[in-house]
Amino acid sequence: MGRILAVIFAVLTVGLIAIGTVHGSRNAQASTPEGAVQAMFGNAKGHDWNGAYSYVASSSNVDQGGFIRDLTGRNGSLRTYSQLDSVNTRVLHESDTEATVRTELKYATAVGVSFDTRDLKVVKEDGAWKVQWPAEKEVHVPPQVIPVNYLRWDIVWRGAGDDWGAQNVENPNCRILSMNAVERDGGLIIMGEVENEDTVPAFITVGAVLTDNAGKDVAEESSFDKISHVLLPKEVSPYRIDFPGIKKSDVKSVRMTHDWMLVPASADPVIGVLHQRIEKDITGRTVLKGELLNESGTTVNIPHVLATFYDNGGKVIWVSDAYSDHALLPQTPQPFSVALRDDLAANVHTYRVTVNHYSREN
Amino acid sequence: MSSPSIAPGRQVSLPSRAVPLSWVLLLALLVHGPLLLMQITNDSYDADFHKFFAAHYAQHWFNPWNEKWFTGFSQTTYPPMEQQWMALFSHVIGLNLAYIFVQLIAILLLPIGVYRYARIWVGERAASYAAIGSVLLGSLASLVYVDGQLSTTWAAPLYLIALAYFYEWAREGKAMALAKALALTMAAASAHHVTLLFASVIFTIPVVVIALMDRKRDGADATTAGVISRSAIFAALSLGGIILVLLPYWLALKANPIKQMPIPHGSRENFFSQGWLAVNYILVPWGAMLLAVPFIFVKGLKESRLRPLFFGFWLTMLFALGGTTPLPRMLLGMLAGVVNVITGANVHNPFDILTFERFSFWANLMALPIVALLAVSLIDRYGRKAAFVLGTLAAFTVAFAVSWPVYHPIHDAPFSTAEVISFLNRDGHDKFRYLTLGFGSKMSEVGIGANASSVDGEYNSARLLPEMTQYGSAQLTNSKYYGTNGIESLRAVLKHADQYGLKYIFVRDPYYEPLIAFAGWRKTEVYDRGNVSLWVKDGISPAHRTPYGTPPTAMEGILWGTLPIGSSIIALLLMLMFPDKRRKLEPIEFPLNANEPVLREAR
Repeated sequence: MGRILAVIFAVLTVGLIAIGTVHGSRNAQASTPEGAVQAMFGNAKGHDWNGAYSYVASSSNVDQGGFIRDLTGRNGSLRTYSQLDSVNTRVLHESDTEATVRTELKYATAVGVSFDTRDLKVVKEDGAWKVQWPAEKEVHVPPQVIPVNYLRWDIVWRGAGDDWGAQNVENPNCRILSMNAVERDGGLIIMGEVENEDTVPAFITVGAVLTDNAGKDVAEESSFDKISHVLLPKEVSPYRIDFPGIKKSDVKSVRMTHDWMLVPASADPVIGVLHQRIEKDITGRTVLKGELLNESGTTVNIPHVLATFYDNGGKVIWVSDAYSDHALLPQTPQPFSVALRDDLAANVHTYRVTVNHYSREN
Repeated sequence: MSSPSIAPGRQVSLPSRAVPLSWVLLLALLVHGPLLLMQITNDSYDADFHKFFAAHYAQHWFNPWNEKWFTGFSQTTYPPMEQQWMALFSHVIGLNLAYIFVQLIAILLLPIGVYRYARIWVGERAASYAAIGSVLLGSLASLVYVDGQLSTTWAAPLYLIALAYFYEWAREGKAMALAKALALTMAAASAHHVTLLFASVIFTIPVVVIALMDRKRDGADATTAGVISRSAIFAALSLGGIILVLLPYWLALKANPIKQMPIPHGSRENFFSQGWLAVNYILVPWGAMLLAVPFIFVKGLKESRLRPLFFGFWLTMLFALGGTTPLPRMLLGMLAGVVNVITGANVHNPFDILTFERFSFWANLMALPIVALLAVSLIDRYGRKAAFVLGTLAAFTVAFAVSWPVYHPIHDAPFSTAEVISFLNRDGHDKFRYLTLGFGSKMSEVGIGANASSVDGEYNSARLLPEMTQYGSAQLTNSKYYGTNGIESLRAVLKHADQYGLKYIFVRDPYYEPLIAFAGWRKTEVYDRGNVSLWVKDGISPAHRTPYGTPPTAMEGILWGTLPIGSSIIALLLMLMFPDKRRKLEPIEFPLNANEPVLREAR
């Protein structure tokens, strides 16, 4: 009796473990194009690079090192600060030997959630579906000397030992040029532009407080990362402040808050914006596309693109932003894309792109 | 030099008597004393969390409202007993040594608890072997030196001793046994609520069943109805006592039910999905006991008296496997469903909130009486060879568990938080709130030393800020480990820096620098030779009270400062003032072994 019970419980235990383990297994041969893409990214997510690479078609002409660098990023870019979070796939086209799978990758990055949509070609090799990985071309900047002669502002602050009454350096003069409040997607959005009118650099923050009909403050938000915080003399930055869940009709007035102070700054690196145009992306959404060119001699690790859209009257009707997941190498153009609301696309008359950046200290 | 001569071919048997408990306690002191004094346990996951709570009790014994975390939270959300003892001792020996001392007491209580619990199931000798085994458990070493689960290691032995008295009360109806069982149960609840919640099922039900089976055993003459009614009385009085001693906890829970998104934890994964999970959650805590599992199955099911214990063990073992089997998720989901039907509440599956490493410890404790029987039979059969092998396996088990963080580091390289604390405590910087990023459990160390308030904190169940509860991530300081939830939670808090008075961010991990740079913080200073940088946001107003959470009333503060620790003092007094009657010594088989001389030297 005891032995029989022991065997029963042992089998039960092993069975339960087997159910839990087989259910979570990842390294099976892909029997569908979607399965191949899911398995490849599933392994990549778990950092099983051998497993992930086993789903790459041999015709891709990418070695495992290059494949890993494509997925994990290069040159201290935003992708190097990212982890793959989830993968959604949809078959766009499928035949007996090849298929196209639309793949939406969701990344957790150091600056927030990032999405990447790709149409991946999947081919059948030796009876199993494999992904034809579109290898990224690795850019090598040729050896060269790049002279840098851009402006830089250093500051000597008033010291603790200075005479009482000695004048400190003054804060810069800045001005909010415009403010436009619109209701979108069930929330209130306040956007506009701010200018550093001074001859010295400024560090700025812009926020807004909403008050209701009774004169009571109902919400307070700031522009957070939808602004260029460091403005050089005469530079203009867009700003956007989101109030999710607040209706315009519930708000009587908006009180803008701001803070600007003098900071040391440099005009280097200068990032040029080339070939800007509004068009549709592969998913059919309206985007502003173009290229960024780092004109300096040092790598910009994370570029942040802020786009301001104006109507016929020059009024700011939308502000959007995007982080590029590729670093800007010196003198090397890098494509960017910023989303524009489809319902506003027809009203856009002009647009302006400014680039904010983060460069890692060496 | 010649060794003492033993006639070749003759087996020398070890004494077939129980090992005295005082020797077992000495062994515990020998094994864990040096390890504790080396302060290995001070680097464990939760050590700073316990010290943070204790530091507050040391300063504000009757005011459990602590403003240093989450912009303000109530410490009545976590049972306080061992932390209050630490607070008391810290006035004499400091916080670090107080933690070690309180942990040592828990370790010394464990063999006593295991011995008393094992005596319900097995004889004196096997029970003493079980007590030895408890000192050398991999799961104990793991909880003490890696996880820092002081509360679990305190609550378990108290509850085991309580159950031994409950067994006595259920069978013999002794009032003093009931009083001791109740006092110890309340003390265990004051040490750790989760242990009690699950122990009341997995430890108690087998004891109730064995009490029924043993109602006529060893001179007892109880009826089935008598055992059941006495069990019911104990359950009712325990419930009342637990509600009373933890009353502020229940009030806090009622005011702010735990409503947060599940936070990922390795112990909920399938342990066979990644190699390190299998090592961390199976090999390390179970160690050599894995070799005894087949014996536990056979022996535990063969002997009818051991079957209740086996069933309890088996269920606990499956829970200890976390997400490796679907059973824990299923059973806890059903439990939540029943609760929802009865109360009309909307309780989520507790599987997503619990962590399961402690179940290995409990499963080990339940297995010990059966494993001890294996040890008895092996030693009887193979003498010293068996004792040597068993001792070696046990030593490797505890050594592997203690050294596991060396091979699988849980912390980054050590760094000093002294300059961070110094900055926060000078020039009025504590008027503003601060945040640490990449500090891990050192966040609590900063919390202990600094006067300033943080928006972050290390106790997930106490969080009330919507920016934290809406996302499935734990501490902001570790947000990068929680994927999109972690980083979105961090973004949400940083967006509301103005409301929270969050001016200072101390960054240990450059991963977080891009976000705070783009969000408007500026790097101003570096500390600890560049290990930590300070980022400041200008234009932030000084911190003020947030609307999240209500401080406990003065009466709740008084109850919290007296009842939990009071229950442990009452239990201690009962044990000292009314010691158990000395058990009748078990008859020793005579002759001990017909083939062996009594004294080796006389051969």
